[in-house]
Amino acid sequence: MDTLSRRKFLQLSGAAAVGAAAPLLTMEDIAHAAQVRPLPLGTPILIMVTLYGGNDGLNTVVPYTDPLYFSMRPDISYAPEKVLELDEQLGLNPAMTGIKSLWDQQKVAIVRGVGYPKPDRSHFTSMAIWQSGAPVSRLNSGWLGRWVESQAVDPMLAISLGSVLPPLLAGEKRSGSALPLGGLVIPTGTFAKDCQKLAQAVSTDNKLMAAAATSMRTLFSVSNTVTPVLKMPAPVADDLPTVNGGNAGGDSNLAQQLDVVAKLIAAGSPTRVWSVSLGGFDTHANEANAQAELLGTVSTALSRFTSQMKNTPRGKDIVMMVYSEFGRRVKGNASQGTDHGTAGPVFLIGDRVKGGFYGDQPSLSNLVNGDLAVTTDFRDIYAAVLEDVLKTPGEKILSGWKSKGQYF
Amino acid sequence: METDRLEIARLYHRFGFGPRPGEFKAALAKGVSATKTSLLSVPAIDSGAAKVAEPNITNLGPRPAQKTSELIEFNIALRQQVKELPLWWLDRMALSDHTLTERMTWFWHGHWATAIGKINYAYPMHIQNKTLRKHALGNFGEMATAMVNDGALQFWLDGNENTVKSPNENFARELMELFVLGVNRYTETDVRELSRALTGYQVERSTGKLFFNAKRYDPNIKTILGSSTTFNGNSATAHLVAQKDNAKFISERLWFRFISSQVGLPSDNSLEKSFEARDISKLVVALADSQILRNPDCSIVKAPVEWFIGVARYLNLTPSELKTPAQLLGYLDKLAQVPFSPPNVGGWPTDESWLSSASAQSRIQFAAWLIKQADLTALTATAPAKRIAWLQDELGVLAFSNRTRLALDGVKSNPAQLLQLAICSPEYVVSA
Repeated sequence: MDTLSRRKFLQLSGAAAVGAAAPLLTMEDIAHAAQVRPLPLGTPILIMVTLYGGNDGLNTVVPYTDPLYFSMRPDISYAPEKVLELDEQLGLNPAMTGIKSLWDQQKVAIVRGVGYPKPDRSHFTSMAIWQSGAPVSRLNSGWLGRWVESQAVDPMLAISLGSVLPPLLAGEKRSGSALPLGGLVIPTGTFAKDCQKLAQAVSTDNKLMAAAATSMRTLFSVSNTVTPVLKMPAPVADDLPTVNGGNAGGDSNLAQQLDVVAKLIAAGSPTRVWSVSLGGFDTHANEANAQAELLGTVSTALSRFTSQMKNTPRGKDIVMMVYSEFGRRVKGNASQGTDHGTAGPVFLIGDRVKGGFYGDQPSLSNLVNGDLAVTTDFRDIYAAVLEDVLKTPGEKILSGWKSKGQYF
Repeated sequence: METDRLEIARLYHRFGFGPRPGEFKAALAKGVSATKTSLLSVPAIDSGAAKVAEPNITNLGPRPAQKTSELIEFNIALRQQVKELPLWWLDRMALSDHTLTERMTWFWHGHWATAIGKINYAYPMHIQNKTLRKHALGNFGEMATAMVNDGALQFWLDGNENTVKSPNENFARELMELFVLGVNRYTETDVRELSRALTGYQVERSTGKLFFNAKRYDPNIKTILGSSTTFNGNSATAHLVAQKDNAKFISERLWFRFISSQVGLPSDNSLEKSFEARDISKLVVALADSQILRNPDCSIVKAPVEWFIGVARYLNLTPSELKTPAQLLGYLDKLAQVPFSPPNVGGWPTDESWLSSASAQSRIQFAAWLIKQADLTALTATAPAKRIAWLQDELGVLAFSNRTRLALDGVKSNPAQLLQLAICSPEYVVSA
């Protein structure tokens, strides 16, 4: 891919934003679809959880009995008694109690040492490679965007929370949809009618003006009364204590995103892929507290979501995949932090998942340029997700990639 | 004539923040060439900008200990300064008589994107802003050297912690990827070597003052992009700026923000050539070439700050005097763009990213709030039948579409609503 089109693909990263022509959905659209054509019960649902910034895998799944771990990271290692023990070698970050409890229920697969050939250490490039799912051919579309294109046209099929669509869901011609968070307050009365006239499409519009008009149109397709779905309480997680400000992250945006996803799945939205995200993992300095806070947020949000969905008939259909654009350098830097690295763990969570470890733990005594060696290609995971969760042959979407993990 | 109008509209909206009342019509009469000359030649004195008093931003010193009365005072003063800084800059953008300098400073702020959230103090951010303004149309090499020596940027990218014993690559990587060369125009080894050259800097948090600590500096030979010597921060920066890729990259970035994110650069390398001496003003003049500005495909969406300043200039509003300034910053925050708070080191997004239904809604509310505080005498004094054509010229819009004319026609007897729809119309939100 040349630099310009790469930049185009990176459009939504901020570094080089171009903007995809993604349909923006309204709650009303989804609520309507949920009523007239709900997703058949038993259809697997994928939730992609993207951690932006490069999550430090070694302090997520900690090799707490490896002396090299402590000698290479004197300032930022977790003491053996602090980690949440998974087996004799590995333990979870102390903040991840929620995910630990799901692990104990055999609902978590941890794939170790995940990456791709010739790792790139730029946030923007590496995230583009992960989201394109094409580390060699560097396609200009997201792997789930290409999955969307392999299916019958349906704007509800793949939905990203937030007003901006991640490249993950961008196809060549068709894309997933974006759903802005929070309710929209719209003008009312006669002035609203005049406002709505601005939303008409006209032939003289160029691409951007047409997009501006579309944004108005979408706004007005939300009815004045908030839709029944949004009015519904989120499904109740009756097996969790209600904690106020109990987790270190507080009321995080990730939890808010998952709350909306929970309501819409429970309502029967014909959506098979959801995308949510959390940023801030670029811990070059003073990592321990920052990363623990973020991992705590992720862990709490995902386990809370799991508990909420358990009470609905769709709870057992949900598979979550948690990934980041790269792990971090093994050796800490002088700032109690770590620089950009390579391989990291990927989490698959849900009733359909066969819990346990997959892939080899990268060795700390056999580093590649100071970084962890990649032991699992992310395409093995994508292939499994495509075939076992989305029931779609993966080879074409993954440019001929044939091998696949057995996680489900 | 239509292409003249397009070119003049683009000059006003992209190389400035949009016309003041009457300016656009006068420019149409003056013609493209004279308009270009006046918009691109920075005058020695800008009495509009001079009217904006420097912000009351002082060195607050280190943060006092927890649970002391000093800490409360410190926090109050800090909050005040952090609020005052963006208001001061918005005032400069709105009140400058000649806007190219502020417009370029704004571009460079997005380029060397540093967020006050991590810096925590307004003082170093104020200094960085003055540095960007000083070099906004000057020599890029001098700008890059000044920025490598900028305390806020150093602290933002952990340069403070990059030492010979344990290099921190954050600054080195972004210096090559986002500031000087562009992604994939260097190797991973170059990143590691450059981070060694950038060792030795220490920053005083509250002032952004930079110190050189020889004990932390790596004096050995480094090999960066094929050259081996005892590079330090300044010599390594000069080495990066001297690369051909620097001319390519800065041309691409300016093109991306001023001309188009969808259409590619001219294939004759004319932009890179204009930047051979790293003279930013020459590159800006090359971008304003008629061949480029007359290409109808090069439309661009105004970023929220650009949209707001355009409206403020037309309505003669002073941002810091709006009631209340905190609400103003709240509206900009809803539109996801507050000066000094870019979302990450890559800066703000562009084009369709600003066109979600959520932002359409915020813009409508924001517009109503601004218009309520404005003097609409001139619009009211214009006969209703002539108001739409009149506004088209006043706002510097290429042409309202039939759709928008129809919408405006419905409210033409109500000046406030008419103006609200006009500035929220696709033809104003997008620079044609």
